[in-house]
Amino acid sequence: MVSLRAVLWPLLALAGLASAKSSSGDNVLVILEPALDKSNFSIFFDGLKERGYKLTFRAPKSVTPQVIQDEVATFNHVVIFAPETKAYAQDITPQSLVQLLSLNTNLLIALSPKQTPLTSLALEFSLIPPPPGTPLVSHFPERDTPATIVPVRVPSSNPILSTTKAPVWFSGASHALGNNPRLVPILRAPAESFAADSTDDSGSIAVADAAEKGGEGLWAGSQMGLVTGFQVVGGARATWVGGVSVFSDEFAKKEISKGKKSGNQQFAQDVAAWTFQESLVLRIDRTEHHRVNETEPLEQYTTNDMITFTARISKYDGVKERWESYSGLKDLQLEFTMLDPFIRTALSPVAGKPGIYSATFRAPDRHGVFKFVIDYKRKGFTQLHSSTTVSVVPPRHDGYPRFLSAAWPYYAGAISTSIGFLLFSTLWLAGDVREMLMKKGKGLKRE
Amino acid sequence: MAPKAAPSSSAQSQSSVQTLWSAYSEQTPDRLKFIDSFLLFIMLSGVIQFAYCVLVTNYPFNAFLAGFASTIGQFVLTASLRAQVNPENKSEFKDVSPERAFADFALGSIVLHFFVFNFLG
Repeated sequence: MVSLRAVLWPLLALAGLASAKSSSGDNVLVILEPALDKSNFSIFFDGLKERGYKLTFRAPKSVTPQVIQDEVATFNHVVIFAPETKAYAQDITPQSLVQLLSLNTNLLIALSPKQTPLTSLALEFSLIPPPPGTPLVSHFPERDTPATIVPVRVPSSNPILSTTKAPVWFSGASHALGNNPRLVPILRAPAESFAADSTDDSGSIAVADAAEKGGEGLWAGSQMGLVTGFQVVGGARATWVGGVSVFSDEFAKKEISKGKKSGNQQFAQDVAAWTFQESLVLRIDRTEHHRVNETEPLEQYTTNDMITFTARISKYDGVKERWESYSGLKDLQLEFTMLDPFIRTALSPVAGKPGIYSATFRAPDRHGVFKFVIDYKRKGFTQLHSSTTVSVVPPRHDGYPRFLSAAWPYYAGAISTSIGFLLFSTLWLAGDVREMLMKKGKGLKRE
Repeated sequence: MAPKAAPSSSAQSQSSVQTLWSAYSEQTPDRLKFIDSFLLFIMLSGVIQFAYCVLVTNYPFNAFLAGFASTIGQFVLTASLRAQVNPENKSEFKDVSPERAFADFALGSIVLHFFVFNFLG
């Protein structure tokens, strides 16, 4: 066994080196519009290659390689940089893209102010696009670029993005966000920006009028999204980007202010890392439950038992390219439910045991079929769900505590009654015999 | 009037209790007195358990029920034994001989105690 392991270990290590950067694989299909030049996105694509992805390029209308062959996704990730394409080859339809997501393939999709089939698909993801032909416009801050090229401050608290604070150049369409809980806003529009079909001052009167009516009919403000993620039930991720130029070399090199580089390069890689399930990917390795001070799980627990529930959670580490125990979740909860949660308690990390989360609680004084439920849904993170069914039964007839000191008067009462009964019976029968003897004696005396 | 009447009535009741007691001790057969003493013992035991339940704790309740029910049940069985073996009730229990009455009593008590100890916990 040891020798086998010694032989296998270097092989495994090699496999590890060759394995994917992403937790779901490293094959990327890039569907690139003929109008866009590959070399204009070299910084973004080279960044992906450097991190271990294999890129395959394809035009929207070419027939091969197909995205789904024999119901199996051909690639692990699909990047669609075709913001103005209206017609695709037969294998790329809104339905096939949704099917890709259910096959755990991630999508990175660029939109534009133009109306395309992808704009209508965005509606299905609860993103509401503005009227066609209205790019994002902002006149602030004052700068020498056109009003449609907008510097956007990167939110500092978003776990998806790394901590570099440099603003990002953006040019394209914004979108309003529906109330779908699976949406993950990554980049929002600046507060002073709006969507307009003209950058002329003539259009500004209409904008000012709309603003005076409380913003009715106006696509404006920081509630609009520019880059928005969507995480489907299976864990696949789709990211919608309002403008493809966010990824371009031009914006990556363009300075925000004199001598200060824009954040586009880092931002593009962060967005790709999240979309390709490289960052913020969690999984539950295993869950265990047992009575306190025992180790074996029980099929059924007794009411009021003290139960310990343990979960082991791993996070994918894109740098080391492996799953690592993760103790960083501070707000994990465990529910013990029978239709409603009877108990909802914090499932907190155990100090000194990486990745182990544990909670001990008293089973409710109620019998029935219960479930241990972990349901962790946080913006950006993989959604964790685990459910284990156990039954809780009342104590067996001999399962109650016995010989309680408080009950001794009752025990003494019952025992004394029994002893009293025995004594009484004995004396009664003895009395019978004595009476008989006495009767006999009297009879003898009479004779 | 009242102060005078009170001592006289208490004296009267005292004398009536004495009369009752002397009548009981003279006219009751020894066998019935023996039963009565057993009844008294059971009654006191039940009263003590009930007081403990009310004043101290009723936990575990099944133990209280078992202990208290054993005194009640034993009291009822013993009282019926007393009724059946009393010579003055002979006309009412023509078919029941004292031996038969005692056998019923013993069997009932054994079944009762079986249940009591099963329930005592």
